[in-house]
Amino acid sequence: MSDGQDVVIRRVAETLRSAPEAVPDPRAVARLLSAAWETPRPTGIRRWFGAWRMPALSGLGASAVAAAALLMGFVVRGAVRERPSQEPAMATGEFPVPGGGTPSAGVPVVPAAAVTGEAALVPTQFVLDRPDAHAVALVGDFNDWQGGETPLTRLESGVWTATVPLPPGRHVYAFLVDGTLVVADPRAPKSGDADYGREGSVVMVFAR
Amino acid sequence: MSETPPGSSIDPTLPLRAKAGDRQAFAQLVDVMYPRSLRFALHMVGNREDAEEAVQDAFVRVWHNLHRFRDDARFEPWLFRILANRCRSLMEKRRRHQAVVQYGDVPERGSAPRASDDRDWTEEIHRVLATLPAEQREAFLLRHVEDMAYEDIAAITGVGLSALRMRVKRACDVLRARLSEVIRDE
Repeated sequence: MSDGQDVVIRRVAETLRSAPEAVPDPRAVARLLSAAWETPRPTGIRRWFGAWRMPALSGLGASAVAAAALLMGFVVRGAVRERPSQEPAMATGEFPVPGGGTPSAGVPVVPAAAVTGEAALVPTQFVLDRPDAHAVALVGDFNDWQGGETPLTRLESGVWTATVPLPPGRHVYAFLVDGTLVVADPRAPKSGDADYGREGSVVMVFAR
Repeated sequence: MSETPPGSSIDPTLPLRAKAGDRQAFAQLVDVMYPRSLRFALHMVGNREDAEEAVQDAFVRVWHNLHRFRDDARFEPWLFRILANRCRSLMEKRRRHQAVVQYGDVPERGSAPRASDDRDWTEEIHRVLATLPAEQREAFLLRHVEDMAYEDIAAITGVGLSALRMRVKRACDVLRARLSEVIRDE
């Protein structure tokens, strides 16, 4: 019997595909993004050499290596500094996250927030159940209410979703459906503001 | 069987933008691929807590290794290769620490409980699925639930096509033998 035509196998596959327990928990998605972004990605030379550590040296050997490293530093520094920033600007629709950078191997990572006093961004998920829509975007005070900045992604179920890193605080937002229709989030409290010409929704983002 | 399973059609620019450091693109990738990833992990490891841990580990590794992702490669097989590895590691860790079968013991063939509703049927599937050797369960899920081509499964598992077909066939044989009676009794 061909397994593709097997009624038992087909029913098993359908049951497993629609398992209700496999519905994602938005908090787990937010935790995932936080975990990914808490540590910086390897960049520049570290990307190629990984977590390379200096071998133990002593005496003359260490002095010679230090001198060579200093010399190499002058040569390489120019090339490294010419690399484009790994943390793009907010204006491009991407979000800088404090704590980025390239710490030396073995040195504890101190989040930039701890140094600058700036709060870390918190991944925040937005969801709109709108199976009939062709395009949904998120507009809010965090993207200057620009409809093209933050598109939502349509899942199989017809639910649209986007996870956006936001600074802690109160944010007003709405969904822009099919480029023209402004829709408040039915699952969120309404704001008294009218930033986009009509009432939006409010999300409170708390620092972790 | 379609080569492009439903729900897998991701914007091909997303992995490239994420690779370039675009966090929003990565968040979109997670939004699109998380449900399928969780489903696969859940059926592999058998409980939600471990499944979420495996999926999180996999995506964190994806984020930190995107520089290794070839621009002309397809993202889903790459993600699932990492995810399948995380599931295997997690199962091995759990096996060492607790020799407990999540879905309980499976009745011998011919003595399956009669399924009177969907819940029984689903539980029975989980029960039988849990008895399959991990490599057969993995191959079956990727082929029949995630609807992947054998070539992609070979890339994910590192196993040859003929061995994969044999794994899927053996898994199907067991499921068919154990579950046919349940269907007949409905």
